[in-house]
Formats: sequence, C-alpha cells, structure tokens
Amino acid sequence: MGASQCSQTHPQKYKQYEDFADRTGFSLEQINNLHKRFRQLSDNTETISRENLENIPALANNPLRKQIIGAFFDKRNQHEEEVGSIQEIGFQQFLMVMSHFRPPGLKMTEEEKEAMRKEKLRFLFNMHDTDNDGTITVDEYRKVVEELMSNNDIGQEAAKAIADAAMLEVASINMPHMGPDDFYEGITFEHFEQILKGLEMESRMNVRFLDVDTSTMRCGKGK
Amino acid sequence: MSATIDDMEERWDVAVLLLQLWSSGVFCLIMLPAMFGCSLGVTGVYIKILVKILKWATLRIQRGTARPLPRPNGIIAREGGSMEQEVVAIRRSRTRTIEGRQFAVSDAFYFYKKGLDSIVDDQVTQRFSSEELASWNLLTRTNQNFYYVSQRLTIIWGLGVLVRYGLLFPFRSVWGLGVLVRYGLLFPFRITLAIIGLVWLVVGTALVGFLPNSSAKSWLSELVHVTCWRICARGLSATVRYHNKENRPKKGGICVANHTSPIDVVILASDGCYAMVGQIHGGLMGVLQRSMVKSCPHVWFERSEMKDRLTVLNRLTNHVAAKNKLPILIFPEGTCINNTSVMMFKKGCFEIEGTIYPVAIKYDARFGDAFWNSAKYNMVSYLLRMMTSWAIVVNVWYLPPMRRRDGEDAALFANRVKSVIARRGGLLDLAWDGGLKREKVKESMKQEQQKLYSNMVGAPRHNVCTGRITEDQESSPVEYQNR
Repeated sequence: MGASQCSQTHPQKYKQYEDFADRTGFSLEQINNLHKRFRQLSDNTETISRENLENIPALANNPLRKQIIGAFFDKRNQHEEEVGSIQEIGFQQFLMVMSHFRPPGLKMTEEEKEAMRKEKLRFLFNMHDTDNDGTITVDEYRKVVEELMSNNDIGQEAAKAIADAAMLEVASINMPHMGPDDFYEGITFEHFEQILKGLEMESRMNVRFLDVDTSTMRCGKGK
Repeated sequence: MSATIDDMEERWDVAVLLLQLWSSGVFCLIMLPAMFGCSLGVTGVYIKILVKILKWATLRIQRGTARPLPRPNGIIAREGGSMEQEVVAIRRSRTRTIEGRQFAVSDAFYFYKKGLDSIVDDQVTQRFSSEELASWNLLTRTNQNFYYVSQRLTIIWGLGVLVRYGLLFPFRSVWGLGVLVRYGLLFPFRITLAIIGLVWLVVGTALVGFLPNSSAKSWLSELVHVTCWRICARGLSATVRYHNKENRPKKGGICVANHTSPIDVVILASDGCYAMVGQIHGGLMGVLQRSMVKSCPHVWFERSEMKDRLTVLNRLTNHVAAKNKLPILIFPEGTCINNTSVMMFKKGCFEIEGTIYPVAIKYDARFGDAFWNSAKYNMVSYLLRMMTSWAIVVNVWYLPPMRRRDGEDAALFANRVKSVIARRGGLLDLAWDGGLKREKVKESMKQEQQKLYSNMVGAPRHNVCTGRITEDQESSPVEYQNR
C-alpha cells in the first residue's frame, strides 16, 4: 500500500510519520495529507504563524475565528503541562492540536472512548477559558456570545442578558442548592462536563477524513 | 599561418551554407504553413506518440503500487446541512432539551468544527498551486510524490530527460544557437521561431503602420498579428483544438476567457485578431506594445490610469462603441488560476454595453503544467519551463455570444457568464475572488455569519420606532455554504 511505498524511498520521513501516528492516533495516510496541507498553509516553510491561518478565506467567515486560531497556539493543547501561548508552531504541534478532533478508531475500548471524549471537552473548554485560570467566568462567556452574535443587531445589554441566562442555567444544574446571595464563580471543567453530558462528541466533534485506509473507517459512516 | 586561415574560411563557408539550408528549411516548413494556418502534422504525430508512452507509464505505476489518488474535492467529508440544521442537531443530542430558539452552550461547537474543517482543507488555497495529477507524466516537476517504481520506468524517464533537455530545450533557447547548428535534428526551430515571430511582429506592424487607413491596412495588420502569434505558438509546441469556430468573437464585441497563464494570449490570438488590454511596460514588452498599436488600435494604459476605474471603463466603452474595431480580449478573473476552477469574475467589463463572447480554455495537464505561479516563478523561468515540457495541448471552446438582460445586475451577469464557461471547460465554478491570492478576506463576510446566527437564536432587537423589544422573524438570506 502507500505505506510500503513510502518506506522504501523515504525511510526517514516514514519513521517520523510512524512516531506521529503513535502519538496522535492518526493513520499514516491522514498524516501525509495533513503534512501536505501544512506545507500549503505555511508557504513551504517549517512553521505556521497566526497570519497563515488568518489567510484562509473559508475561515474568515467564521465568527469564532479568533478563538479557533488561538487554540492552535495555546500550549495547553499540546498535551503538556505548560500554559501560555506561542507565536509559531511546527508540524508536530499542528498535529497535536488536530488530534483533538481525530475520528475515533473502530477498536476503541470504553475507557479509550471516555478518555477521548474528555480530551475533546478539555479542548473546547480551553477555547472558552481564555485566561487559563481553570474556570469560565461570566465575562469570558459573554465574549463568546458577543462574537457569535452580530454587534449591530443586538446591543451590549442583550448579549449580557443572554450570557447571564446561560450561566444561570449552568449554575442551576450543578449547584442546585445555591442560595440567592451566593456568587457563582464560574464554570469549572467538571461543571462543563456535566452540562454537556450526552452530547455526542464522538460523532459530531471530529474531522472526517475521506480515507481509503479501511482500518479507520466506521460502518455506516461513508457518504 | 595561412593554412589555418584557409581552414577557418572553409569552415566559415560550410557554416554559412548550413545556415542557409536551415533557414530556408525554417521558412518553408514552419513559417509558410503558420501564415496560412495549415499544419504539416509533425506535432500531431509527436503528440500521439507521447500519449501512448504516458499511458504505458501509468499502467506500469498502477501495477507497481496502489497509490491513493489525489482528491479534487478535498480530503475531508463535509456535512451538507445548513447552519440551522446543524446547530439544532447538536442541541438535540444533549440530554437536557432546549426549548425553542434560545442560546445554548453547545451552539459554539458548530462553528468550532466548521473552523477546524476549514483549516484542514478549503476550496480556495488549493487553487493557487499547481494541480495534482492522477498519474505521472514523466516530469518530476509535476509531482514530488511519485517514486521511481521500476527500472524500466526510470530508464524511460531518463530518456525523456535526454530528449527534453538535449534536443528540445537547446533548440528553444537563445543560448543554444551554436548548439542548433551542430545538432539540427527534430525540432531545430523552437526559440528561433519565437524570436522570428516577435521580430516579424515589430517590423510588420511598423511597416503596416505607414499605410493610410483602409480596409487593406486592417487586413494586412490582422495577417501580421496572426502569423506572429502562430509562429510563437509553434515555438512552444502548442497543439490547440478550436471548437465551435462559428462563435468566434466578432468586431465590436468583448471576448472573455478564464486565465491560467500568459500563454492564453498566444493561443487565442493565433486564431483571430484581438485588441489587447493592459498596462504599458518598459523594455521589450513596451517595444512590442508600442509597435502593435501602430497598425491597429489596442488599449494600453499608463500605470496611473489603471487605478482610476472610470477612465478605464470609458476607454473600453469608446473602443467597443466604434463597431469596426477589433474585439477586446479581457480576463475578468484578474489573476492566474490553476485551471481546475473558475473564480469570481470582476464585474467591471460586464458593465459595458456590448456583446460578450465567452471562451473556455482548458489545458491538458498530462503534457505539461501551464499554470503560472507568479509567486514561485518569474516570467523568464516560467517560459523556460514551458519550452522544456513535452508540449502544450489546449482545448478552446468558443461559446455563443451573450448580452446583459434588461435590469440585470452586472455582477449577476458576470456570474452567468462564468458558469457557462466553467460548465463547458469542465472546471469547478467557485464564487471566491481570485484576488484572495494576495489579499485577505473582508471583515464584512464574518458579519454575515453573525447576523445569520442571531436571527436563528431570535435575539431580541431594539425596535427604534416603538421602543419595544420584538423578535425579528425575517428570512435568512444567506446560507452558510460548505465551501
């Protein structure tokens, strides 16, 4: 198959890809495709900066573009314990961020599925929690709402109202015994998980590669 | 001492004789047929042989490996639903149901996923780099991913290199003139043809320019132009198939085509005389431009004039209004696209009152990639690449003329013409602007999406007149298209 061809003529590249595949869970073909894409985005250099991602026209449509681009340069998404943001990323870091959205394999155990779900939730949580303090405060939440809605159609007040209502909803689920004078700090990761219980992360929150490699195809998925 | 001088003279005589033989050969075999538009069929045979070899090479590769094909539609599967359907589907999958149209935490996820999809693959950025071929055409430059499958294939590839660089290229290069005389074999004419063609253009148009204005003058100038471009086309080994010649652009019209490379001009102008539009350059191009305008009116702009849209439009309108002038040739995309798709047409030239003659140009990528990636290659290295490809095989379709309908917006008309061209040429019809090659997307596109989402969630709006907050139920005009 493609992999054996690869290994005959580019043994070094193949080894590197294998290493990536182990770490991120992508198949070799997916990594190959992503590498081509990386080179396209980076103008054939070794790193991608924020400008490279901002230049994608289809992404410019997206109201949450800033958050999405920020997620690529956020150290928390690199499976390491560091926090903070970086200016440029290489291919390995690009892959690590993309791996949060990889499709689940056929032969995953329940634990692995649970771990993957938690990982995706963590990624999305990090996108909302911009100051890295572990909670999504009302202000951070309000910012997301403002980005989603057009600033011309609704005023600041309406955005605030919507954000407050959403926070109340979260609070009422997670801390039902809160008194009227208690102050709700913010959504922690556990609360976040609680709200989104039952949301099908596996089928909705992944990038579905058109694959010839059958080991990562799921039954009933093909279109 | 005298012996060596005699030797030299002898050699010089021989050289002169060879030169004479060869130039008369050039004249009879190439220039005369080019002037009259007939062909000796040599290039046709060459192309046929090439196709056979390439087919064999493809079969060998397929036998050797099962290589995954490049995908023209991208590497990921996209959902087909609209924004509303998707967001509701995400909401429904939660355990706690959301009533009606409220904001939900999970709504943002739709946008995150769409954003990630765009980063992995989008329809626009891939149009500005060369097309990936499904099979190898024995030119390593077309695809880095093809590995040398077998001995036989490598040998053929090696032979190909020899033929291309050893035979074809020197005969196409100015510095190969000395090599020309020594190795005059199959195609000793290519670059000399180009030079001859251009010199002929300058000289011919200057001569014709001296004549008084008459029908004879315009006929002569057309002849000069067309022969020159035909000779240049021969210099590139271009095989062009013109379809539907009855729809060829007539005088007083505007010819509109998709743009892949500067060679488009050579190809179109070999089959008919057009008035070119463009900026005045200095140097060699400037000389060409100034001489061309002597024999028949082209539309050349100074750099300062180009910025002023109205001036440009006015001049073009005046040119078209004088019904006896040659049809204008315009490429509305504004930049070179890689010939897999047609991007947004700039509506400027569609505002002019006149008949539009659309033309679709499709290069056969098996024989050489004709796309000019101006970021990667400058003009000279691009032309050298063209002259060392196998050949340039093009299909040109002349489409029936179109006029703007009453009350039709110029932008809509432009889109109509664009889809006709895309359909004929087998290209993908995209609404993205080719200018995105160099600029960023406007901020207003993001606001459209925000508006759409706000409407869906039913965000309360301030009704200025009555001072009440009402829910707005207007129909959403724009769909978040899967691009």
